[in-house]
Amino acid sequence: MTTDDLIAALAADTLPQPTVAQRLARSLPIALAVSVAAFIAFWGPRADIGATLASMAVLKTVLPALLLVVAGASALALAHPGMRADRRLAVIGVFAGAVVVAFLFYLLRDGVSGLVMALSKPSLVVCLVSVPLLGMPLLGAILWSLSTGAVLRPRLTGAVAGLMAGGASASVYSFYCDTDMALYVIPAYATAILLVTLIGAWVGPQVLRW
Amino acid sequence: MRAAIHGDTAAYRHLLQAITPVLRRVVQARGTGLGPDACEDVLQDVLLAIHTKRHTWVETAPLRPWLYAIARHKVVDAFRARGRRVEVAIDDFADGLAAPQGPDPLEGRDMETMLNALDPRAAEIVRSFGLRGETTAETAARLGMTEGAVRVALHRALRTLAQLRERMIE
Repeated sequence: MTTDDLIAALAADTLPQPTVAQRLARSLPIALAVSVAAFIAFWGPRADIGATLASMAVLKTVLPALLLVVAGASALALAHPGMRADRRLAVIGVFAGAVVVAFLFYLLRDGVSGLVMALSKPSLVVCLVSVPLLGMPLLGAILWSLSTGAVLRPRLTGAVAGLMAGGASASVYSFYCDTDMALYVIPAYATAILLVTLIGAWVGPQVLRW
Repeated sequence: MRAAIHGDTAAYRHLLQAITPVLRRVVQARGTGLGPDACEDVLQDVLLAIHTKRHTWVETAPLRPWLYAIARHKVVDAFRARGRRVEVAIDDFADGLAAPQGPDPLEGRDMETMLNALDPRAAEIVRSFGLRGETTAETAARLGMTEGAVRVALHRALRTLAQLRERMIE
């Protein structure tokens, strides 16, 4: 087949294609529904969830969810060649920096012994296992949507997809988690989200190639 | 390109024809050891990628950086894969660049192999636009399908082609 023939065939294909954002908007709610259904079936919200959401502990839900939005903006830029992603990636950096500053504030206030006490709870292991598990359907949907884009940096984009999925699943998991100490929540949630990020960076080059 | 995304076949064809010589020069400049028909295969890979990824161009952004990004990615990919089996014969050096090219330098070899790997009806539809230059209506009438079905079948066939070529490179 000559190149001119190929061009004629390509030009005849005028079916409109959904954009990456449209695919994301379609697949993410489905994946979120799967995650939430699994959460209700196997975890379930803590008893005092109403009071928790009215207190400062609501940040456990809100901040990870915000990460979904912040990382999502970067992921979309990374899937569109010619779109600048560096400024959006910097916003993720600012977000992470703010979390680290908050962690250091509490660490200086309560000391290392406070950190050890906060983290020596069985719920730590539950958190580190639950968040990646709840994040898997989300990571699948996000990577599938991004794979229809044109990703030029697959490992970085996979990691950003992991941040999105980890943030959303940590937000879901927070309804179950009944430990509200900052010195527990910040390191535990950050580590759990980073696990999902690592999985994303690991599978990105395979899933996002084109 | 904007018109192309919104379904203007003539404008899209015009655009692809306009960028093809530029892309061909880029591919040939990078792939001097590959031989003309392997270069044409890479060029066809690039065109297929431009087609299947056209929705990732942001309509308010300039087109050129996007085109180059897609082309560079595909060219690097193709040469990395083919690099393991670059066919360089001594004759190539003897003939030099001025030597007359093969019977039809614009004919890719891979595409024919890939078309044969498609199911016959899908390959027939791709060929009817390419080789025969038919319109959707003519193809639909000849194959006894509705125009919509032909459009969907062509769309799927091109997507499968792109995936097959991707797999072949791996």
